[in-house]
Amino acid sequence: MILTQQLILGVLVGGLYGLAAAGLSLTFGVLRVLNVAHGELLMLGGYGTFWLFTLWQIDPFLSLLGVGPALFALGLILYWTLFQFVVKAHEEVRIKNSLLIGFGLTLVFHTLAIRLWTADERAVTTAYAGAVIKMGAFAIPLVRLSSLVLAFAILTALHLFLAKARWGRAIRATAEDWEAAALMGIPVGKTYLLAFALGTALAGIAGGLVTVSYSISPSIGLEWTLKALIVVVLAGLGSLFGAFAGGILLGVAEATSAVLVGGAYREVVGLVLFLVILLVRPQGLFGGRG
Amino acid sequence: MKLLVGGILLAVAFAAFPLITQRSDLLNLGIQIFLAVALAQSWNLLGGYAGQITLGHAAFFGLGALITRILWVNGAPLVLALVAGALVATAFGIVIGLPAFRLRGAYFAIGTLGLAEILRISVGNLMPEISTIPAAALVSYDMLSRYYLTLGLAVLCVAVVAALVCSRVGLGIQAVREDEAAAEASGVGAFRHKLLALALSTALVGLAGGAFAYYHVSYYPQHVFSPVWTFDAVLITFVGGVGTIHGPVLGALFYVILKEILAVRLVELHLLIFGVLFILVVLFFPGGLVEAWSRARRLITRKG
Amino acid sequence: MLEVENIQVSYGALAALHGVSLTVRPGEMVALVGPNCAGKSTLLKTIAGLLVPRAGVIRWEGKRLSGGPPQQIVERGVALVPEGRRLFAAMTVRENLELGAFPQRAQKGRRAQIERVYGLFPRLFEREGQLAGSLSGGEQQMLALGRALMGLPRLLLLDEPSLGLAPKVVETIFAILAELHREGMSLLIVEQNVQAALNLVRRAYILEGGKIVGEGEGQRLLQDDHVRAAYLGPLARGSSA
Repeated sequence: MILTQQLILGVLVGGLYGLAAAGLSLTFGVLRVLNVAHGELLMLGGYGTFWLFTLWQIDPFLSLLGVGPALFALGLILYWTLFQFVVKAHEEVRIKNSLLIGFGLTLVFHTLAIRLWTADERAVTTAYAGAVIKMGAFAIPLVRLSSLVLAFAILTALHLFLAKARWGRAIRATAEDWEAAALMGIPVGKTYLLAFALGTALAGIAGGLVTVSYSISPSIGLEWTLKALIVVVLAGLGSLFGAFAGGILLGVAEATSAVLVGGAYREVVGLVLFLVILLVRPQGLFGGRG
Repeated sequence: MKLLVGGILLAVAFAAFPLITQRSDLLNLGIQIFLAVALAQSWNLLGGYAGQITLGHAAFFGLGALITRILWVNGAPLVLALVAGALVATAFGIVIGLPAFRLRGAYFAIGTLGLAEILRISVGNLMPEISTIPAAALVSYDMLSRYYLTLGLAVLCVAVVAALVCSRVGLGIQAVREDEAAAEASGVGAFRHKLLALALSTALVGLAGGAFAYYHVSYYPQHVFSPVWTFDAVLITFVGGVGTIHGPVLGALFYVILKEILAVRLVELHLLIFGVLFILVVLFFPGGLVEAWSRARRLITRKG
Repeated sequence: MLEVENIQVSYGALAALHGVSLTVRPGEMVALVGPNCAGKSTLLKTIAGLLVPRAGVIRWEGKRLSGGPPQQIVERGVALVPEGRRLFAAMTVRENLELGAFPQRAQKGRRAQIERVYGLFPRLFEREGQLAGSLSGGEQQMLALGRALMGLPRLLLLDEPSLGLAPKVVETIFAILAELHREGMSLLIVEQNVQAALNLVRRAYILEGGKIVGEGEGQRLLQDDHVRAAYLGPLARGSSA
């Protein structure tokens, strides 16, 4: 049935929504900084994958091993040059300034991308691009399925890092109460730096997966920032798996609406959901903090 | 006082300009500047003076443009079309404001952004065909009337903000920006004031949208709802000097002229430069060009 | 040895400490008492590095302490158990304790130190896997103390350890503080419960309005007229108001 097939595709894209949201959730949750350039960072990661494939025929999934660290490094630079000044203010000003700075970054990256890669849509077509797993009447594109699995694996790894590792716990502690964390000997600045860079790395990896599963163009930046925001608002802060589930929920909601009211309003559904949750339950469906 | 004189002189200069030359490219440049001033100043009212950073400005620009275009293209007199556009934009703004002001800071910003996007996509779906001024109107298209219309609009926006700032209501609005709780405690109805700022802001930008619909020959209906309009407004206001009367004017002049200079060889680069400037302003120069200018003046007068 | 010399601290334009000086000798247990808003918490936060003094100097073990970030101060062996405990409520007891051992120096002996802390506070061991936010007031104070101990401090700063606790629990906590003191720890305890504090320690300071107005042996201060009038009268006894 069309609905089921659409739902399957919705779940597959939802995993990527979740991964994109997780990065935003991490930076917002820990630093209380809303980096609206998150989608642009995702876009840059996607172009990284595109370049590595087009120039050196590196398999897109493999390229993530390069894209991840590259975006991590970019995150370090961005924090060191810009966001470290933003976190010095207290929360309300912090959010406002980060919003504005993210906004400026959006313009810079967007324009840069157009210069470097033109405004055209690009795709990465591997040998296995068309492979599909058939389940009765339904077809599951292999590439997208792999992306979903990979996204989940990465989030699991991150979750374990946050739960068990010394620095992972330091991040969680700083997110909850940075002064108390400082009293434990946790260097708050370095923790922020780490969390921010992890967030951008996640964005970059998500971008790479978007490129291989769909396509890439400079204009996906704003689109994915909105998706990530919608999922963060939907799922609330504080849980990576919540973000993942929220992403899947969004994907499913979009798929359902596409079947019911036509694909043209796919985006609108997510945005309407977003506004409703913002107004009715700002802390999200699963979230702790608002 | 000096500002007032300077502003009037500037307006007169612009008004008199077509007496010197009526080259359409220069008039066009002027129209761009005036539209930019209107766009930015209307945002400045809500985002700068009322402190409600909104990212949905394009929604109201678009609504003004949409209504005006439809009415005017179908024979309605221009003034009626413009006013109708502004009214629809304002009505929508008020309807939105009621729930939206429950959101704070970042949530208000992204909420308004989401709203504008919903409008853009919906309009894009409902009206996918390009909208062009009908042939009859094209034949009689004259740049000069558009020039004066947009100049008048720019002057109106600046005047409204200037009048508001000194008025009691305006002071209330700014008090809400500084500390909403304190303002509320001293009897300033925060919600009322925010709503007023929103209404004025949307009315003005709705007019700007209407003016755009009158001016631009052909465009896709969803174009006027594009976030680009919001971005321009925010950029210009901050780089010029947010929360000041002349900031958006300076910023608009700077922005449009820079765009013109760069357009010849390096398309779109103006956005990159402005993006960088914007970041610098937010971090280190919150007063924008206005602040930079007054600092420079103080340096010079000290040396002189 | 902790030497606080003429510390001046302001919150913006509001001066909180007007030139405060005190010392804590090695292995000493000293109390700092005084009324609400005297600046006691401010002083501890300044020593711990959360606040920067406008003037004056703090020295620890001979070297300058003031001016450094909190994490450096913890590395030097000075730990603050903050007012209200400031536990990580969303994390378990064990996670809180392990976080206390964050400094590199404390990482190696982590497992042994946790055993020690469990030895001091068997209740914490029972509640190892519970979320810190679900503990009782007394257990939370024990956890806060245990967490600070995980960093292997040589000087413990305590901000109102008895706040909001039942008398019996306060007794237990104070007994543990005495035990730590016997083992060689230096302690600076800020307390509103003047009676209990002055009974516990050998020496105490009195801070009023951002200035040190008195110093002396715990027992002697208890007999002092001013102290008795200001803090030990029927209205001023204890804290939980």
